[in-house]
Amino acid sequence: MKISWFHLMPYRFLPKDFEDKYRSVWVDVPSHLFEADKAHQLYNEYLDELEFADEVGFDGICVNEHHNNAYGIMPSPNITAATLTRRTKDAAIIVLGNSLALYNPPLRVAEEFAMLDCISGGRLVAGFPVGTSMDTNFAYGVNPAILREKYYEAHDLVMKAWTEPDMFAFNGKYNQVRYANIWPRPLQKPHPPVWIPGGGSVETWEWTSRMNYVYCYLSYSGYKRGIQVMNGYWKEMERLGTDDNPYRAGFLQLVCVAETDEKAKELYAEHVEYFYKKCLHVYEGFADAPGYRTIRTLKAGAVAQLGAAANQTRQAMTWDDFVEQGYVIAGSPKTVIENLRGAVEGLRVGHLMVLLQIGSMPKDLTMKNTEMFATEVYPELQGMWDEYEDHWWPQPIEEPEVAGMASAGD
Amino acid sequence: MVAQQNGQVVTVNGADIEVASKGSGEPLVYLHGAFGYRGWHPFMDALAEQFTVYAPIQPGFVDSAPGPDDIDDLLDLTLYHFDLLEALGLEAPNVVGHFLGGMIAAEMAALRPDSVSKMVLAAPAGLWLDEEPGVDYFATPIDELRGVLFADPDSDAAKSVLPEPKDDLERGTQIIERVRSLATVGKFLWPIPDKGLKKRMGRIKAPTLVVVGEQDKVVPASYGNEFASRIEGASVHTMAGAGHMMMLERAGEFAQLIRGFMKS
Repeated sequence: MKISWFHLMPYRFLPKDFEDKYRSVWVDVPSHLFEADKAHQLYNEYLDELEFADEVGFDGICVNEHHNNAYGIMPSPNITAATLTRRTKDAAIIVLGNSLALYNPPLRVAEEFAMLDCISGGRLVAGFPVGTSMDTNFAYGVNPAILREKYYEAHDLVMKAWTEPDMFAFNGKYNQVRYANIWPRPLQKPHPPVWIPGGGSVETWEWTSRMNYVYCYLSYSGYKRGIQVMNGYWKEMERLGTDDNPYRAGFLQLVCVAETDEKAKELYAEHVEYFYKKCLHVYEGFADAPGYRTIRTLKAGAVAQLGAAANQTRQAMTWDDFVEQGYVIAGSPKTVIENLRGAVEGLRVGHLMVLLQIGSMPKDLTMKNTEMFATEVYPELQGMWDEYEDHWWPQPIEEPEVAGMASAGD
Repeated sequence: MVAQQNGQVVTVNGADIEVASKGSGEPLVYLHGAFGYRGWHPFMDALAEQFTVYAPIQPGFVDSAPGPDDIDDLLDLTLYHFDLLEALGLEAPNVVGHFLGGMIAAEMAALRPDSVSKMVLAAPAGLWLDEEPGVDYFATPIDELRGVLFADPDSDAAKSVLPEPKDDLERGTQIIERVRSLATVGKFLWPIPDKGLKKRMGRIKAPTLVVVGEQDKVVPASYGNEFASRIEGASVHTMAGAGHMMMLERAGEFAQLIRGFMKS
């Protein structure tokens, strides 16, 4: 069992009436709400939190990519990851990831991930999301009709750049490169483990199975709904003749730990509500650009987690509902252990990611949540899935270098 | 007395394409926009009194070949339409194009100035003004679409294109239809429709009328002059009170306008 600490880096200072006054936290979120001096504080406290997660023994630390977004002020996860490679020693650096169709040429991703892998001594997990419609189509202007094709081509180019022994020419539809020849190349051979975050589309399941990648279901609706989706995933694996190793799968869960269940509500309720009511307040028109999902996926009934209906449901929910319905696993260590164990078994995931900084949660509370999880919950989940081998975890070198004191030399 | 509507199947690049047609007289090809492309509409009947009207459905809008994946870009789309005209046996027909259809007509007339006789561009796509972006129809939820497309969202014309769904199944069908048509036009227009037409428009020789709707929220009326000023001798007509779907909202007036222009 591997447990990793995931940061979204939300802007914590949205006004109280944000969701009534503005239509979206994403794409056209008003820029005047962003205050750079507050962002200075936020970035530094968030990096402290990620580094702390490494210190207290989480297996991995996760960063991700969003654009025009007040719930995730991390347009470049590679910058975040770069600071972490120097300031952490043991944790896997899980970049979930780079939305491949946004990089021109995508060789940039091959290069930057190779840099991160080399600097960190082989601790990188390479995540390749398609990216949400808000990020890719609306914020970055990529045509939804070609997004997926462009994504798959970019993936092929990156993989080839990592694994071809020699320089090659790449004649793609979206990328033509006469001299593909990246320096540096990744430290892990043949390449860092690849994780694919997805939203539950059948096409992605087939593809991750074929490529032997980890599939990560990054949902904010919690494990109870997640289990329905992951049941579909495991059924599909069975149909495809792929084994049922739980390490093929990853899942993100919001968790709040306190001394007692009541204390958890007292400490965390306002931050969880901030997350669901402000951070996920996305205008319906941005949730799903026409062409972003295939007609096949639409007909299969894939419903976005965002948009009017989902928004309305969440606006009416309170802490008790979020906990009751599994959106958040919260309470005393005993409660959390019990629910999390059930979740991991039900989902059949070997790579659990936990969101412990949630919405407006300040640093001291995030540290408390992280420390309590690390000392009281984490040890109790160790040993799960020990009978399986994790083929999708980084293989770092022994004793990698970290930040040292600059010396004058001699 | 208007003649019967006919369907004929022509072969373009190996694919069978069904093209509805009606009327007699000079050929007139109608190239549709993002909505209201199904069926035979009253404005087509009015045009069929004077012309042989051809109304092909463009690739990607319905389940037929060629699908959206066979056509990569605007050049492919324009070449497809040259091939279609040839397959229909039409040499330099009159062309009326709405929205994306107007953009296709303008591209054809620019690429091969001899391929179009007279041309009407109705609420055409293809140019961009920073100060007049129009409503982002790609980000318009289905429930707000009628209000964006029609000057009067409660008119019969509006309800004929987007009826109140009777049940979830109908609603689901409408949602998928919206996605399919906007994804198809989006292939050529996303996220901003300026794809180079403006530098090619000077080549257009066809006498051109640009028609815009005074209340059009998708292609604001100010685009009329933007188009006309780039085409030698072109004129603009602004339909008072009309929205984006002017040819459905004001069928008689729209057809009359075209007949008058074609006669001149």
